[in-house]
Amino acid sequence: MIALQVENLCVKADNRHLIENITFSIEEGRIVAIIGPNGAGKTTLIKAILGLIPYETGTVSLFGRPFKNNHSVIKVGYVPQKLEFDRTIPLTVSELLGFTVPPVYMVPFMKRKGAREHIDGLLKIVGAQSLAQRSIGSLSGGELQRVMIAKAIVNDPKILFLDEPASGVDIEGQERFHDLVKRLNKEKGLTVIIISHDLNVVYRYADDVLCMNRKLICTGRPEETLTDEVIKSMYGEMMGAYIHSCHEHD
Amino acid sequence: MNMISEFISYPFIQRALLASVMVGILCPFVGNFVVLRRMSFYSDAISHSAFAGIAAGALLGIDLSLSSIIVAILIAVIIAFLSEKTGLSHDTVIGIAFSGAIASGMLVMGMLKGYRADLFTFLFGDILAITDKDLLMIFIIGILTVIVLLTFLKPFLQITFNRDLARVEGTSVRFFEYLLFLIIAVVITVSLKIIGMILVTSLLIVPAASAKNLASSMKRLFVLSCVFGVLSGVIGLAMSIYLNTSSGPTIVLVSIMIFFLTLFSRGAVTKR
Repeated sequence: MIALQVENLCVKADNRHLIENITFSIEEGRIVAIIGPNGAGKTTLIKAILGLIPYETGTVSLFGRPFKNNHSVIKVGYVPQKLEFDRTIPLTVSELLGFTVPPVYMVPFMKRKGAREHIDGLLKIVGAQSLAQRSIGSLSGGELQRVMIAKAIVNDPKILFLDEPASGVDIEGQERFHDLVKRLNKEKGLTVIIISHDLNVVYRYADDVLCMNRKLICTGRPEETLTDEVIKSMYGEMMGAYIHSCHEHD
Repeated sequence: MNMISEFISYPFIQRALLASVMVGILCPFVGNFVVLRRMSFYSDAISHSAFAGIAAGALLGIDLSLSSIIVAILIAVIIAFLSEKTGLSHDTVIGIAFSGAIASGMLVMGMLKGYRADLFTFLFGDILAITDKDLLMIFIIGILTVIVLLTFLKPFLQITFNRDLARVEGTSVRFFEYLLFLIIAVVITVSLKIIGMILVTSLLIVPAASAKNLASSMKRLFVLSCVFGVLSGVIGLAMSIYLNTSSGPTIVLVSIMIFFLTLFSRGAVTKR
């Protein structure tokens, strides 16, 4: 089944195209990496798909249903590139995850049967069970990313959008994070769309790659799609040599 | 001891105590959102905007509480609408609405004939002049506000944490933001008679800020802010009677003392 269908998507700002006429589809259960140089419109694309910014033209469908303004029955998980929040907010990890656990409209802080176990289970999956009572503002970059993944999957979404989720995390943390995403994809059949600058990550974890620079350049399996010409056209001559090294290591 | 029991036996003291407890719970409960969402300028603007409502009420000969609520809600809606539609910063929109309301209030006030002592009750507050009707109004609005906030606390907190994530999770951000703006406007206007237009924002912000100094979780924040609000109200009222000072400023000064106590405890000053 097609998980995500994007057709003729255009986003404009100040009469300038941020993304232009992008059309692609993603099969359910795949991990798809979106790559492109800085300013290519990767974050804009994800935000437009999620209805966080308006688009000029085009349509977005999730699992065959139109997806606009988030009034959809399809549950979606999202980990933004840079999470902006007040670091002094007195909010525990457990409370943060609890906001999203249904029923949403109810007396809060009320112990709902199973909710506690559900949150503990999620924190265990992402290796953050010891963080349940920690204040969200006191977490390190890696800890916060794991908690945000737990938050993104708390409602059992069918599709997960990750916008450079491991940026600002150390190498070991990045590897743990990507292993976790791969595991969720395998165990829960989650469709994952991930923006990454790291071609190593693309080769190791992604089933498909989507290259863009305001327009769609190519899509397909990384080893077949990321040719020298494609990489050079997106990143310049220097990256052509780098791509060979990534490929060989893999 | 006899003096205290004698004082408490007066109906106007009983009403004042009840009012200080109710507002001491209601204002900080809503104030937590004002502090967490950095909306203190907004709440200040709404409280001062009520001035236009009071002036209009006096001119038209309608109930001043009712007219202040109507105008405060109107200003809240205008601020929310202009912020969303014009792309201007929230501060700028609030500044425009705020000065517009104050200017209108002053203009209308100039048209009134004679001295109106009741208008000063709204400006500076007089908890000892609270009537049974005022108490009933605070009680009904307080209960409704707490029910709405508790029912929708999760989406309100989702939006407070991060608007984009809340939207992706299916929360209607626009609806809940408008609702929060309205709740703040209503709570401010019902508290005007007790604490006064000039100081009402402090009862919203100070107990919530004191609680934020100590709280490590959202649950504690809400409980502590209400405890500090009630303590400020009751201690402030008792001190104002004992020292023969104005009740509104005394309540606010007590709440500020609590704020500094909480700030210095647990090393909150050096922590950030």
